[in-house]
Amino acid sequence: MKDRLSEALKKSTADYTEIRYEIEDSTSFGYRGREVDRVSSSKLAGGIVRACTRGGWGMAVFDTLEDLDRQVQEACQAAALVGKEKTELADAAAPTDAHVVARMERDFRGVPLDEKLRLVAHYNDLLLGADPAIETTNCGYSETFRTVYFASSRGAYFMEERPYVVLHFGAVARDGALVQMSHDSVSSATDYGVVQGREALVEETARRAAALLKAPKVEGGTYSVILDQRLGGVFAHEAFGHLSEADFLYENDQMRELMHLGRSMGVKELNIVDDGSLDRYVGTHPYDDEGTPTQKTYLIREGVLVGHLHSLETAAKMGEKPTGNARAIRRGVPPIVRMTNTYIEGGNLSPEELFAGVDRGIYACSMLGGQTMMEQFTFSAAYGYRIENGQKGELIRDIVLTGNVFETLNAIDGFANDFKIIQAGGGCGKGGQAPLPVTFGAPHIRLRAVVVGGK
Amino acid sequence: MRSSTLDQMADALQRGVEQAQQRGASAAKIRFRQWESNGCSFENGRLKEASASEGLAFDIEVVVDGRKVSVTGNNVDDLREMVERAVTLASMGSVAHFDAYPAPAPVPEVKTFSERAASLPREQMIEGCQGIVDALKRYAPDLFIGAGSGRHRAESLLVTSGGVCHRACETGWGLGAHVQRTRGTDMLMTGYWRGWKDLNELWDPAWITNRILEDLRNGEPIVEAPTGKTTVLLPPEAVSMFLMPITMGVNGRNVAKGESPLRGRLGEQILDPSITLVDNPHVDFANGATEMDADGVPTRVNTLFRAGVLERFLYDLDTAAMVGAEPTGNNGCSPYFLELAPGPQTSDALLAGIEDGLYVKSLIGFGQSNMMNGDVAGNVALGFRIRGGKLTGRVKNTMIAGNVYDLLRANVRLSADRDPVLHMPYAVIEGVSVSAT
Repeated sequence: MKDRLSEALKKSTADYTEIRYEIEDSTSFGYRGREVDRVSSSKLAGGIVRACTRGGWGMAVFDTLEDLDRQVQEACQAAALVGKEKTELADAAAPTDAHVVARMERDFRGVPLDEKLRLVAHYNDLLLGADPAIETTNCGYSETFRTVYFASSRGAYFMEERPYVVLHFGAVARDGALVQMSHDSVSSATDYGVVQGREALVEETARRAAALLKAPKVEGGTYSVILDQRLGGVFAHEAFGHLSEADFLYENDQMRELMHLGRSMGVKELNIVDDGSLDRYVGTHPYDDEGTPTQKTYLIREGVLVGHLHSLETAAKMGEKPTGNARAIRRGVPPIVRMTNTYIEGGNLSPEELFAGVDRGIYACSMLGGQTMMEQFTFSAAYGYRIENGQKGELIRDIVLTGNVFETLNAIDGFANDFKIIQAGGGCGKGGQAPLPVTFGAPHIRLRAVVVGGK
Repeated sequence: MRSSTLDQMADALQRGVEQAQQRGASAAKIRFRQWESNGCSFENGRLKEASASEGLAFDIEVVVDGRKVSVTGNNVDDLREMVERAVTLASMGSVAHFDAYPAPAPVPEVKTFSERAASLPREQMIEGCQGIVDALKRYAPDLFIGAGSGRHRAESLLVTSGGVCHRACETGWGLGAHVQRTRGTDMLMTGYWRGWKDLNELWDPAWITNRILEDLRNGEPIVEAPTGKTTVLLPPEAVSMFLMPITMGVNGRNVAKGESPLRGRLGEQILDPSITLVDNPHVDFANGATEMDADGVPTRVNTLFRAGVLERFLYDLDTAAMVGAEPTGNNGCSPYFLELAPGPQTSDALLAGIEDGLYVKSLIGFGQSNMMNGDVAGNVALGFRIRGGKLTGRVKNTMIAGNVYDLLRANVRLSADRDPVLHMPYAVIEGVSVSAT
C-alpha cells in the first residue's frame, strides 16, 4: 500500500498533499423489546486526497484506488483554484513507515456471532425483567475493524488498525402516556471483554427508567450543582474542550484574544487535559490523521489557559506546536481539530466534603447529551437528586444545565478525589462528523449558581 | 462524474437477487446507489476549500426462514461475496414480519432530478458565497463569516424479488452562511442555509444575507429575558425542531414497540385544532421528495394530524406486517417532508399581537431531553425579547423547557406565510417555561 500511495503522490502539483485510505468491516445487531430488531454487516473501502496550494485546500473523495492518480490531480487542481495566499503547515515528527497492529486482549473477530447474540439476549432479558413498568428495550452490540493507511508528500506513512466494540443498553418504562427512558453503554478499542459481565449495570439502568416514572421534574432556576464524574467529563468536553479547538480560533482575531494563553479561567485547583496518547482508550491513537504523534496537552493548568488543540495548519498559523488532534471519523472526510481523551484532574476533597458544602442544590448524574455554541453550553443529565443540607435526596428528572463557559469555569469551587475516566459508546459530534470515539473524565465537581432549565 | 452504470448493474443486481433465492432466501432485494458532488467553503470571509466526491454503494437485504439481515458494500466486485454473507448471517437475523416484497404497483410521478441543479457550476457557488460575504462585510468588517455551497447528483436502482426494478435520479444544491460577532466574552452567532432539488428562485444569496443582517440588527442591545411561563414565537426552522418529538411519536416502529406516547390514540384530539400536519413526499423537488421507499412500496401523502386529531402512523413494510397495518411507504417509519398547514394571520401580525414574550430563533441542546415523551429543553442560542409587539433586544443565558404535547395542545397560532423550502409557518406557543440568569 505504501508504494501505491507514494506513487500517486508523485502526481501532486500542490505544496502539500496527503492520501488517507481506509478499509472497514463492521457488524451490528440489536434487540428492541423481545425481538432481535436489526442485524447488519458492511464491508466498505475508500478515502480522501487533500492538497494545499498557497493556503487553499482541494479535496477529492473516492472509493476505489483504481483512479487514485486522477483523484490526486483533481484535489491539486481544486487547491490551485482556491489558494491565494501562503501555505502554512507546521512540522511534525510524522512516522515514515509505521505499522500499528491492533493489540486486543480478546479480539472480537474471534468470537462467534451466536455467542455475541446470546450475551446480548441475556442482557435484554435482564432489562425486560427488571421492573413491571418496563415496556420495551433497546439493547445492541456493534463492532468495527478499520484499517487506516496514510501517506503524505512530506514522506510520512503509517498503517493503523483501529478496532472498536460497543455495547449499549436501555430500557423504556411507561405509565399511561408518561414514557421514561434510561440507557448506558460501554466501549473499548482493546478488548471484547468490556461487553462481558455487565449484568449489574444493565439491571441498574432498567430500574432507573422505572424509577424516573415517579420522579418529579426539576424546577427551573439557579442552583448549586454537583456533577458526577460522567457529567463532569461532559462539562470539560462540551463547555471548555470545544472552545480550545484551534480551528475555532486561528482565523478569528477576536476569539484568539478571548482564548489567549495566560488567561485566567478558574480556581487554582482547576486542571483540564486532553491526551490522545493516554493508555489504550477509544480516544487514543499513536498518530492523528495528519500523521502527527499524539500527546498529553494541558489546556488549563492551575486555573490558567495554557494550551490549545491543533492540526498542522492551526498550529502554524497560531505559532504553536501541533498537538496531534487532527482526526477524521471515517474514510472520505477530512481531519478536523478534535478532542481525544479529555478530563478534569482530581482534587483533594472527599465526596462527603463536597456535598457538605451544599445546603440546597442538585446532584446531576450521567448524561443524555451535550452541545456547545462557543461560549454558551448546554448539557442534560440523565437523572439527578435534590441535595438538602449536604445530603442526597429525592430522585428528579429533566435536568438540563446551561451557562457561559467563562463564568461557569469560575463557578467551580470544589474537586473531589474520586477521578474516573468514562469510556462509553457514542462519541463527539462536530462538522457533521459524529460520533467520534472519545473519552472524558473528572472527579465529582461542585459548581455555584448554574442555570437549570425546568418546569 | 463516472458514467452511469445502472444499465449494467441491473443485470448484476438481478443475478444477486437470484443468487440469494437459490441459497434459500424467500425474499431478497438489492439497492445500488451512485453519486457525485462538489462544493466550496469560505472561512473568515475567504475562499478556503473546494471539494469533489464520488462513490457508490449497494445494500442487500435477504429473508431466510423468517429472519432478515442487511449487508452493505461499496465494491461491485464484492457483490456475490456480500450476498453470501447476507444469507449466512440471516439465520441469526431479526424477525421478518413479512413474507415477500410487494409486486410492482403504480408509482407516483415526483420530480427529483433537475439538469439545472446537476450542472450548477462551481463558479456560481463561489460567486454566491462571495456575494454574501461581501454584503456582510460592508455591514460590519469585524464579523467572522463562513459560507458554503454544494451540489450533488445521484442515481439509484432497486431490484426486489417481488419484481420491482425501479430507477431513480435526484439532484440537490445547498447554499448557506453563518457569522459570529464577538465583543468581549459575548458572542452572537447566526446563520441560514437553503437547499432544493431544482435550481430556481430559491437560490437566493440575498435572502440569506438579509436574514443574517436582520438578526445582527435585532441583536444589538442585550436585554433581560422574560422568565416563568412565557409566550414564545417560533420561526419556521424552529417549528420544524419542535415537531421532532411528534415525528418520533407517529413513527410506527415506536408505536409497535410501545415507546410512543401516541400508541392507541388514533382518532383522539391530541393537538390544537389549528394543527394539520402532513407528510408529503410528492412535492416536486422538495428535500425529501421520493417516489418509492427502499422496500419497493410507492410513497404516498399521509395526513398525520387533521385539525389536531391523530389520524395516521407511518409504517415501513416490516413494521406494517408486524401490527397488521398497511405500509405507508416510509423508510424507517419516518416522514419524508412534513408540511404544517398555515394559519389565518401573517407572521408580522402574530408578532404584533404579543405584549410580552420571547422570539426563539435557534436553540442548542434541544434534542438532549426525553424527546420520545415530548420533553424538550434547550439553551436559547439566539433569541429576542418581545415587548409591545416588537423585538426589543437579544436575551442571553436563557433556557426554555416544556413538553411538546402539552405546549401544542391548545392556544397555538400559526402564520399564513410559510417558508418556501420547509413548508412550515411561524408559530406562537403559550406557556413555555423560561429560566434565565
